[in-house]
Amino acid sequence: MDEVIFLEVLEADEVHARHRLDRFPVTVGRGYSNDVILDDPKVSASHLRIERTEDGRLVLRDTGSTNGTFRVEPWARLAELELADDARVAVGDTVLRFRGRAHVVEDTRVTAIPVAPQVRPFERPFAFPAMLAVTVLTFLLREYLTNYQKTDWGSLALAVVAPVFVCFVWSGLWSVASKVARRVFHFGAHGTIGSFGLLGLLVIPLLMGVITYSLGLGAWVRWVSLAGYLAWVGFILFWHLRYVTRTEPRRLIQVLGVILVCFGALTQADSLLGEEDFTSSVDFDRTLLPPAFQLVPSKPVDSFFEGTQKLQEDVDALAKEKP
Amino acid sequence: MLTILLLAALAQAPVPAADDLPGDEPDADTPAVVPPLPVASLPPATHELFERLKGRVAQVRIIERRSGTRSSIGSAFFVSTEGHALTNYHVISDIVHHPEDYTAELVREGKDSEAIPVRVVDVDVVHDLAVIRQDAPVKEWFELAPKEPPQGTRLYAMGNPHDLGTTIVEGTYNGLVQDALYDKVHFSGAINPGMSGGPTVTGDGRVVGVNVSTMGNQLGFLVPVAHARALVERAREVKESSPSALLAVVGSQLLDNQQRITERLLAAPLPTQQLGEYHVPGRWLPFLKCWGDTPHEPENPYTVTNYQCSSEEDIYLSGEHRTGVVAYDHAYVSSDKLGALRFSALYEATFSNDPGGVDATKDDVTNFRCRVEFVKVGGVPTRTALCLRAYKKFPGLYDLALRAATTNASTSGVQTSLTLAGFSADNARALARRYLEALAWTK
Repeated sequence: MDEVIFLEVLEADEVHARHRLDRFPVTVGRGYSNDVILDDPKVSASHLRIERTEDGRLVLRDTGSTNGTFRVEPWARLAELELADDARVAVGDTVLRFRGRAHVVEDTRVTAIPVAPQVRPFERPFAFPAMLAVTVLTFLLREYLTNYQKTDWGSLALAVVAPVFVCFVWSGLWSVASKVARRVFHFGAHGTIGSFGLLGLLVIPLLMGVITYSLGLGAWVRWVSLAGYLAWVGFILFWHLRYVTRTEPRRLIQVLGVILVCFGALTQADSLLGEEDFTSSVDFDRTLLPPAFQLVPSKPVDSFFEGTQKLQEDVDALAKEKP
Repeated sequence: MLTILLLAALAQAPVPAADDLPGDEPDADTPAVVPPLPVASLPPATHELFERLKGRVAQVRIIERRSGTRSSIGSAFFVSTEGHALTNYHVISDIVHHPEDYTAELVREGKDSEAIPVRVVDVDVVHDLAVIRQDAPVKEWFELAPKEPPQGTRLYAMGNPHDLGTTIVEGTYNGLVQDALYDKVHFSGAINPGMSGGPTVTGDGRVVGVNVSTMGNQLGFLVPVAHARALVERAREVKESSPSALLAVVGSQLLDNQQRITERLLAAPLPTQQLGEYHVPGRWLPFLKCWGDTPHEPENPYTVTNYQCSSEEDIYLSGEHRTGVVAYDHAYVSSDKLGALRFSALYEATFSNDPGGVDATKDDVTNFRCRVEFVKVGGVPTRTALCLRAYKKFPGLYDLALRAATTNASTSGVQTSLTLAGFSADNARALARRYLEALAWTK
């Protein structure tokens, strides 16, 4: 083995401490007389020793430790081990790894954006308050337009407080995650992304409803809506995560894509499996909008009733299914 | 709604001579029929009539096989020496639908230990009648009156209300209910739950009706004896009846009934009713009862005027399934304070209110399937939805729901909703189409 080796103290595969060893023998243990000191209560004061033999090999010897020294793969207690590159031994609760200078490291990861970092749109000054204001105003407008009773100040107030509260709590949680992972809160960016996301959750279904009504689209729009919803959630989570992890964007998109497709499939499991709960209610799209929103011509009564033949076939098929 | 009752009553003195209906001279040689009263006697005392008749009335018990005990009770009365007895269809409906889970037995007054097993021979589901039969011959039975008595005749209903024992209740005959979709006799007397299926007799003991339901104090309903007579005659012809054959009988009776109602409706012109600037379907036939209302709530920036019609009657199929219903309602919604968008929120909310549908369970019907489109009705653009569901046990029968909302004006409109239960798909569509085409705008 190499004349200089590195002893690495591992914690869950991450290197916790690294010692350069160039003079042998080296002693390892909990006591302060050792060359390498391990603060592990299950390690003996004088635990093991690494020596170079006359023919240049490096040998690890247990020096009579209480709890013993173990080879990790395959797991075996040992008194003596000839060190090879990447060898691992366990002492107490600690795993030690030995690597020589010749150890080959992985290829350098290529960064996806070899350009100078730009100011991201979510980090612009006042982006958060501006986006939050737009969201709150949209909620207020929605509340006003859908209330046909006399003005209800309580629900209007709630339409302001609820989105603000949700945005702050949501961005707060993401900021904590950023702080833990990246040491910066990025509260403004998370707030902007969060309020933008909330705006989308309100606007997307409204928009889909209007388009479906205006163009007289069929029930398949439900699937488009679902896909749009998932894509929107994916978009928002992607940007939140960009401020939390250093994972490459491409990889992040793949992971989020898989998670969201699974999530979408789970929520639709009933209809994908053809299972339907019994209901005695009449289920159809009840949307009604002012006359100007109708963009397709009305059908004559004849062709409407002709089209209902299909309904009869559908329910006959349902009636024949096993109960 | 009417509540169903069980049992029977008996009677006391008929009005003198009024019961001596032509054509039913009691046969003195037949001990089975009630002996005639002395001419010109005073009305018989109720207790005498009860003594003579109580042995001919029995309690029907529906026995759930697994628990081996009764799950419901009703009343029945014998009508032939071969052991035929009449009761209500709704008393024995469990046996028609789940013959593997239920059996029926008859228990006479005071003979609790001598339950006699009976089987269902034939049914008339539309008039809520059934004939059951025990194998042993019967010594005493009731004679069915050959015709309806005059209004005001004193009658006696017999039965076993709330399992309290055989009872007799006095009341008067008030003729067929006017404008009813399904024939029934109005009896002014207390008919109580448990008396369902019992007889109502004149003072000389002839049956003029079968107890079926009540609408509260002193307001009872009977199935006219004519339907009972027809069913008994048919049942005497029946040799063997299997449960699946009974279901098929019920199905064909429902099909005949819906055909009769459809023909009556389509033969009549559909009158219209003015509602705001619109014409909407009015009272199509007298059996439909129509009501209207405009709630006055000055705080609301809009008004909604309701108009609804319903047959207010249905056919009992099982505890959770009713059919044979025609009902519709309209709502005229308008506002001079709301803008177009806020009005559309209101209009959408009222369109989402469904009238109470017809009772049914997963075992009876499928889910609804709907088609919703923009449809031009007589020049008015509407948003119209038509929904169908099929009956699982009775192929060829469907429930239909039609919903339409006019979309020609931005701050007013009329919404309408039609419910048809238990029609063939073609008949339901024909009725729905006639109904929808009655919608018009008057400007």
